Amino acid sequence: MARTFRGGVHPPDGKAATAGLAPQRIAPEAALVISLRQSMGAASAPLVAVGQKVLRGEPIGKPSGFVSAALHAPTSGTVKKLTTMNDPVTGGKVQAIELEPDGEDRWHDACNQPRAWRDMAPEAVRQAVADAGLVGLGGATFPTHVKLTPPKGTAVDTVILNGAECEPYLTCDHRLMLASPGEILEGLDVFMRATGAPRGVVAVEDNKPDAWRALRDAAADLKHVEVLALPVKYPQGAEKQLIKAVTGREVPSGGLPADAGVVVQNVATAYAAWEALAWQRPLTERTLTITGDAVSRPGNFSVRLGTSVPSLLERAGLDAEAVGKVIAGGPMMGLALATIDTYTIKGLSGLLCLKSPEMFAHGPCIRCGNCVDACPAGLVPSTLSLLGEAYEDTQLDALDAAMESGLMDCIECGSCAYACPAGRRIVHYVRFLKAERRKQLARERERKSQQQAAVSK
Amino acid sequence: MTRLTVSSSPHIRQTDSTAKIMWSVVAALTPALVLSGYLFGWRALWVTGLSVLTAVVCEALAQRLRKTPVTIGDGSAVITGILVAFCMPATVHWYVPVFGSAAAILIAKQCFGGLGCNIWNPALVGRAIVHVSFAKDMNPSSYPVVHVEPSSSWLSDVLRHFTIDVTAAGDAAATAVDAITGPSPMAILKKGLASPDALVGSPAEQFTHVLRGQAPHLWDAFWGNIGGNIGEVSALLLLAGVVYLVVKGYVRWYSPALYLGTVAVLAAVLPLPLGPEGARWVWAAALRSGPDGMLYPLYHLVCGGLMLGALYMATDMVTSPLSPRGQMVFAVGCGVLTVLIRLYGGYPEGVCYSILLMNTAVPLIDRWTRPRVFGTGHKKPAPGASS
Repeated sequence: MARTFRGGVHPPDGKAATAGLAPQRIAPEAALVISLRQSMGAASAPLVAVGQKVLRGEPIGKPSGFVSAALHAPTSGTVKKLTTMNDPVTGGKVQAIELEPDGEDRWHDACNQPRAWRDMAPEAVRQAVADAGLVGLGGATFPTHVKLTPPKGTAVDTVILNGAECEPYLTCDHRLMLASPGEILEGLDVFMRATGAPRGVVAVEDNKPDAWRALRDAAADLKHVEVLALPVKYPQGAEKQLIKAVTGREVPSGGLPADAGVVVQNVATAYAAWEALAWQRPLTERTLTITGDAVSRPGNFSVRLGTSVPSLLERAGLDAEAVGKVIAGGPMMGLALATIDTYTIKGLSGLLCLKSPEMFAHGPCIRCGNCVDACPAGLVPSTLSLLGEAYEDTQLDALDAAMESGLMDCIECGSCAYACPAGRRIVHYVRFLKAERRKQLARERERKSQQQAAVSK
Repeated sequence: MTRLTVSSSPHIRQTDSTAKIMWSVVAALTPALVLSGYLFGWRALWVTGLSVLTAVVCEALAQRLRKTPVTIGDGSAVITGILVAFCMPATVHWYVPVFGSAAAILIAKQCFGGLGCNIWNPALVGRAIVHVSFAKDMNPSSYPVVHVEPSSSWLSDVLRHFTIDVTAAGDAAATAVDAITGPSPMAILKKGLASPDALVGSPAEQFTHVLRGQAPHLWDAFWGNIGGNIGEVSALLLLAGVVYLVVKGYVRWYSPALYLGTVAVLAAVLPLPLGPEGARWVWAAALRSGPDGMLYPLYHLVCGGLMLGALYMATDMVTSPLSPRGQMVFAVGCGVLTVLIRLYGGYPEGVCYSILLMNTAVPLIDRWTRPRVFGTGHKKPAPGASS
């Protein structure tokens, strides 16, 4: 079985600066500002009032709808105010809760208690995962319980834990796999129980042999669990590409991993699932990597939700004069922040601080075909970028042509733009076209509902 | 805090750039140019220089007129200039490279929107235009040939050759002691096989007669010791340049390999017209004619414009298909057309038009060879079916 996928690139990994550094745990001291938008679904609704005292693990936000996540107090303290903060994911303003820690950091009574979760039914496991506010910690922040609830008509036979960490510079998953292989495998067991999948796979890129060995040794007695070392290639950790590499199956275009009989979860999510099920600890802390040439003390940091990013960067030795770009996440898919004046969220896997950001000349496409070779989705990215330019130039049928060319199959991994010698902003144009497509669909819905309203009158 | 840069991901890129690729191609063409200077004298360098200068000036001019940034630093116009000059004999009048390069840049490239937008390889369009406009300059009855004999002093040899005056093809033999003239090898082949003698003996005898008797030695033809156009004489140095480009990743090996392979195979197996007006057709003549017959497809490879075309023009990124499969179709198509023109057409040479025709077909090839989008086209595998 070929353990690979089509396309991909090999960017320099930049991991050496932090790969050897175990996470430092940062105690909550200053005020925490906790975003109510912690998943890619709907934002949570606040459950607390100003002045209310809360304990760590106490719910402070409730999910609004199924595709949304619960939110818990990251430490014990007092709710100071309901406020807004800069969302590190969208760059816009988002509602948040400001919490003044009392310094005791006391768990809520219902939390931090051992639980015999192996006796629980799959539905109860899924509910416990939802109650703990788990979202995909690889960065996509999709609510975990939703992924564990495959749609009707699909059967999941394999759970894959994603330990590829293919994004350059990031090492927080690597360190977690080294420190807690047993807990991660317990988390895998949680997911297998929740989905009824008989088989579990942990996939690690082979540039982390120590993590692979640790997991393999921990899984030595587990019959249904396989620990794989996959060849290094970006985007090995992209969900569909990982499924292809591990199982040889392709998720159908427009489909879900469950359509290929697979559920994929990040290793950090698995660790959080173990904490949630075995210890009833909701998700209130995560590990992230702070690195780049603009910080003098790069490292991995275990931080509570809502920790101030400027204080973290200061701890990492940020050169505030020299820094030119701060990226939330890794350099391939991460988002360049307009301001560092924000707070950590569940999905923040790294802060990459670069001194002199490279400016890429957006030249004409010379049709070299590098992007076609690099695209793991089998698209022709150069065409999509040209169509994006054409659409911008008011050639409105370019959007239809882009749809025909598989616009929606783009996973925005950035391999094409990485490989482009002309420095074309391919991903930018794909995102632009996708946004325009969503607007188009919204307009159509609007028109239809108006027509229906007119008919019913 | 300084202002932070906000841009779309990815935030890192590989280190190649358009300019780096283009200048690497220029570097790859340089050895062949130097050899031309050695073989044909300063005149070859003068023609090439004039062609490059014209190309660069025209590019800058056209970009100023079109009110787009002037990008002559990216080296693409320089390549076009070199390639236009490489397609002509060193004996052309000065205005031939000027006209060819200007046509290449102004008509074939800038009129279509500049770098990346042109349908046809600019240099080949330039060549085609001067080919019909200045037929006498472009198809001299004889080319200056410098037969290089081993000499006691390598350096004095070089200096001597650089000072040969080959301004007029006909006079070359008279003015320089060791320069003689002769028709191009492709013309010798075509003419030799079309002579009435070809009807008398067996094809094998005819191959021996033409290839051993009339054509230059294959080894000389391979490294460049023959008459011909400025950049087309040395298959060896053109190959060396393309090996460099393949190593750098700017040329995919299968593209030239398929083009050359197709030409060699088809030249060996297709029916060969022998005698005047192709009076006698012999299938697989080369294959059935022993060792001398097998030289025939090799002459097709090393002589004429094939090496230059297959290695540097058919591999032009802008005018070839995007996907690897498309590039393979393109290369084989170029090979087929080249052989058809060379064996059955009126010209001894078919490379230029074969590539231009395939350039025209690129949008169609691209459409046919679009990669399979992930998650489409395959039957949905049942869960548990594989692994």
